[in-house]
Amino acid sequence: MIPADEEALLPAYVRRILAGGYRSLNPLTKATLAAVSAIVAFGVRGWTGPAVVLAVVLSSALVAGVLRRMAPFALATLPLVASILLVNTFLYPNAHDVIANLGPLSPTWTGATAALQATLRVVAFGLSAALFALTTPIDDLLGELERRGVGRRGSFIVGSALGAIPRTVERAREVVDAQRSRGMDTEGRLWRRFRGLVPLIGPVLFGALAEVEERTMALEARAFTAPGRRTILRALPDSGWQRAARWLLLVGSIAAVVVSLAGVVKLP
Amino acid sequence: MGLLTRWVRRQFTTRVIVLMPVAIAINIVLGYTVQNVLKLPIYVDSIGTILVGCVAGPLPGALTGILSNLIWQYAPGIGGSSIGPFAVTAGVIGFMAGIWGYLGVFRSRPATGLRLIVPAAIAVAIIVVLAARMYTIPQYNDPNAGNYPNWVYAAIVVIGASASVAVALFVYLRRDAAGAWVAVAGALTGVVAAIVSAPIAAVVYGGVTGSGTDFVVAALRQGGADVYNASLGQGLLSDPIDKTITSFVVFLILAGVSSRVLARFPLGDRLVHVDAEPARSPEPTGTPSDS
Repeated sequence: MIPADEEALLPAYVRRILAGGYRSLNPLTKATLAAVSAIVAFGVRGWTGPAVVLAVVLSSALVAGVLRRMAPFALATLPLVASILLVNTFLYPNAHDVIANLGPLSPTWTGATAALQATLRVVAFGLSAALFALTTPIDDLLGELERRGVGRRGSFIVGSALGAIPRTVERAREVVDAQRSRGMDTEGRLWRRFRGLVPLIGPVLFGALAEVEERTMALEARAFTAPGRRTILRALPDSGWQRAARWLLLVGSIAAVVVSLAGVVKLP
Repeated sequence: MGLLTRWVRRQFTTRVIVLMPVAIAINIVLGYTVQNVLKLPIYVDSIGTILVGCVAGPLPGALTGILSNLIWQYAPGIGGSSIGPFAVTAGVIGFMAGIWGYLGVFRSRPATGLRLIVPAAIAVAIIVVLAARMYTIPQYNDPNAGNYPNWVYAAIVVIGASASVAVALFVYLRRDAAGAWVAVAGALTGVVAAIVSAPIAAVVYGGVTGSGTDFVVAALRQGGADVYNASLGQGLLSDPIDKTITSFVVFLILAGVSSRVLARFPLGDRLVHVDAEPARSPEPTGTPSDS
């Protein structure tokens, strides 16, 4: 087994393939699971949909051993959850079943129920996205999609965007620091902060556009637009039952949404 | 090759393929920086989307918007926010930007006299009509509910007036009629974005989005609006402002990029201003050219 720090130095194609349980599923299966979680969490109304998704996601995370690393993702939903709880509990339209009168505020049961359901949906969806992000190396997913016929343009756009984000973050930080040293106000009044908009955005964008020119040349010189498909060095394992499960999950989740919306079966 | 295939291919040149990831990164990073470093109450997370739309066309624009939101939601390390479901809105914004690109909205149009005043007047009129429509829509003005906070009306009047003045000043000071069309395009994009996002916010998140604009939702609910109408009212108040500012930023950026670079994009011919009477270098006299 290769130690972790040494592993980081190795090129991607000799990297150890993630083994065991949830992580060794085909990336497409994990992507399907993420999509199905979103469909069910948002589409099946009431408590059932989000609760089922949350249970499945949490148990999968436990199996994959990423439960602890999901905490920051759960924290990231806090501002939204706080807003959902406050606005809906205290200001739910046409709700009269008041819990208690607190001066001008009167929280209602209807509002609190709606708020808790929305919170459950948001947390279930946010954690399903986290599970996908933490267990699926994006290169694997892109390679797998390309093997299945998605053009190299598509995988280039997504892969390159992920690489460009840290670079752009770095550039934005440099620009903010440079402009601050020249007197840009990031703490003052609203109008002064508005005036910082163009000095911040301008350099970031111009730098990025200049880069586009060079990269276009580089890609054109390396047969990016050549016809034919690239050879995939490392094919990821897939199996018949995974293929069947993907279709079953997709069709099943859509059916569940339809059943729920049509009101055929009353779910809590 | 069919007409449709050719139309699609023309929009996805290698240059556009390279620009799209850069635009996605710009959307995410600038959206984050403006909201968290400058702490401004606007989103500015669609600069890249509008940029790609107006230099490349509706399809790359829409794809940039959709992918930005999905990557923001699902990418390891930066994910965890709640922006994924709004990919639909971002796609619509990018598509509309492509249409504005085809119409040449973002092309610089230096003008003087009447040709400067008429577009400016039309733009101001459209802004006033939009503001007046906002002032009277049921979301703010339901006789059954009533009791809307007065500041909502005041806000509409102030925003409408300052937007009109800002656009008129921009057009006048730059001597560029394009400012008027950019303002109209931005405001219309914002209205459509609000109409598309309201049902998403209402169904998915119980009507709020977790950003500073939620206090508007709360105020409208206080006045008696239902979940959907409160979201729509908030969107109609903040989205046109956000998209108009974003459109102006994109316009200023494009004005600063050399026409040599712009002309190489699919819609380059609609972005580059060509003088009616190009300033020529003096004709060489005397010796005939050797070609």
